[in-house]
Amino acid sequence: MAMDTERAEMRALEAEIAVLQQASKQLPAPWEDGARVRKSFQEIHQSDSAGWESSKDPKTHLRHLEAELSFLSMLTGFNITDYSKKTEDLTSTEMTEESIKKVLQRHRLSGSCHVVTFQLEFQILEIQNKENLSSVITDLSIVMEPTEYSELSEFVSRAEERRDLFMFFRGLHFFVEWCEYRKRTFKYFKDKYPDMVHLPKGACSLCMGIRSTSRPGFELVIVWRIQIDEEGKVSPVLDLLTKIPQRALELDKNRVIETAPLSFRTLLGVLGIEAAVECLIRLLHAGNE
Amino acid sequence: MEQANSVRPDGEPKAGILAHLEGLEAQMSRPCKRSKELQQARAEESALGTKIHELRRLRDKLRAEVNQQRARGKASSANVESGQTVEIGEQEVLERKQESVKAILQAYRFTGLSGKQTSRGVCVCISTAFEGNLLDSYFVDLVIQRPLWIHHHSIPVFIPLEKIAAKYLQTDVQRFLFSLCESLNAYAGRKYQADRLQSDFAAFLIRPLQRNSLCNLLSFTYKVDLMGQSSFCARLLYKDLTATLPTDATVTYQGKRKDGHAEKYCHMLHSSA
Repeated sequence: MAMDTERAEMRALEAEIAVLQQASKQLPAPWEDGARVRKSFQEIHQSDSAGWESSKDPKTHLRHLEAELSFLSMLTGFNITDYSKKTEDLTSTEMTEESIKKVLQRHRLSGSCHVVTFQLEFQILEIQNKENLSSVITDLSIVMEPTEYSELSEFVSRAEERRDLFMFFRGLHFFVEWCEYRKRTFKYFKDKYPDMVHLPKGACSLCMGIRSTSRPGFELVIVWRIQIDEEGKVSPVLDLLTKIPQRALELDKNRVIETAPLSFRTLLGVLGIEAAVECLIRLLHAGNE
Repeated sequence: MEQANSVRPDGEPKAGILAHLEGLEAQMSRPCKRSKELQQARAEESALGTKIHELRRLRDKLRAEVNQQRARGKASSANVESGQTVEIGEQEVLERKQESVKAILQAYRFTGLSGKQTSRGVCVCISTAFEGNLLDSYFVDLVIQRPLWIHHHSIPVFIPLEKIAAKYLQTDVQRFLFSLCESLNAYAGRKYQADRLQSDFAAFLIRPLQRNSLCNLLSFTYKVDLMGQSSFCARLLYKDLTATLPTDATVTYQGKRKDGHAEKYCHMLHSSA
């Protein structure tokens, strides 16, 4: 009947439409799609500064990447200047049968953290089996400059021994921060009391000497060490050394000078570093009048 | 017409006229039905016709679209090819530089702290490790506004994130991140050690290892040798959440015979902690 043929035609048309709809979905519409994608990114962004992969101009893309790098460097405090990696596949035929994959990565990384530069070489062994992926640092070698921070060399050896890469960077960050703070603090006091404060090794001094202009022979020396413990935790350790003429010691019935180092430790706990040091300086300063 | 018919309930006799009329009605409805059927059939046919007409239109439209897309696709690929032949030297140099910068960006994860800029700020990724074993990574999504705030994160709930944020987030972002790094690495280290104890020394543990989610309180009962009878109950407390070593250790002997082991062990732990 006429109806049957028409129904057949309808079914055929529906099938063809379904196929065409599939085909139009699969084909990429390059210009249109690209424009649509870029527009939605712009809708999300407030500024066009981020380095997005869809950026067509390679020069702008590079600028974005470099901006991202400087941002990361500012955020972490580490400035990585060079990095390279080599991969070696150690999967044997037996391992492949059991779907185990073994890969050795050799990494080289160099950079700086403030004035300290580092060069690292480390190896990571990656073993992938059906259940999980294990990544282990199998070797770590660290070279640091400048080597005048003696406290660092012990810490570096410990990090190498334990192959603890993250502890190294964490410890380095806090250590350098404390060093900068020590430098700033010493400089502040030197600028404030130029006649009384004496830094034997200049800016990178471990010690700060306080002399009285009116009473030569009396000197208070603050020794400020920065310790890094077993776990990579950094803490300042301040000590007071006194240089007093013999006669003054004899006159010191109350043993003030003897107990000075301990008292200083207590003072530190109460006032903090800067206020405690200021206190000491004032003591000798007061002695001038 | 004067035929007597059955009496209707209301008393009126069903007149022969009515019966006749009914008969005529019946005669009429039969062709009506037929025509209704015809009408229906005709309606269906025309509906089908319009439907087919619509489907044909849709099919033609889709065909045209697909052909257009195919044509455009060929054109675009041709364009790209032509673009590449120009300035190939400069392109290579730029690409190499891009690769090197991208590699350095990737290398930041080896410092334990890395990040990716987002539309509103930065998504920081904190990696953890213990004695060379690389462990889980966590992320913190920061929105760079005044004040700085955390959009979302994957930090476990028992890590004191709010405390660390309250202390440092607004004044020193770096310090905030490194403090978080410290806590997370310490937790990861403690957890790794507890997991290893559970799996590698399972034969020596009399009861399964008990621990809290922060892995800073461990309790277990163990024996020193597989054949031995005596067992010891150990309790390790890690007061310092930024450390992977315990601050307190208690070992008690559980058994009848006196054994010098417990005292010796306690001494050892207390001297090293």
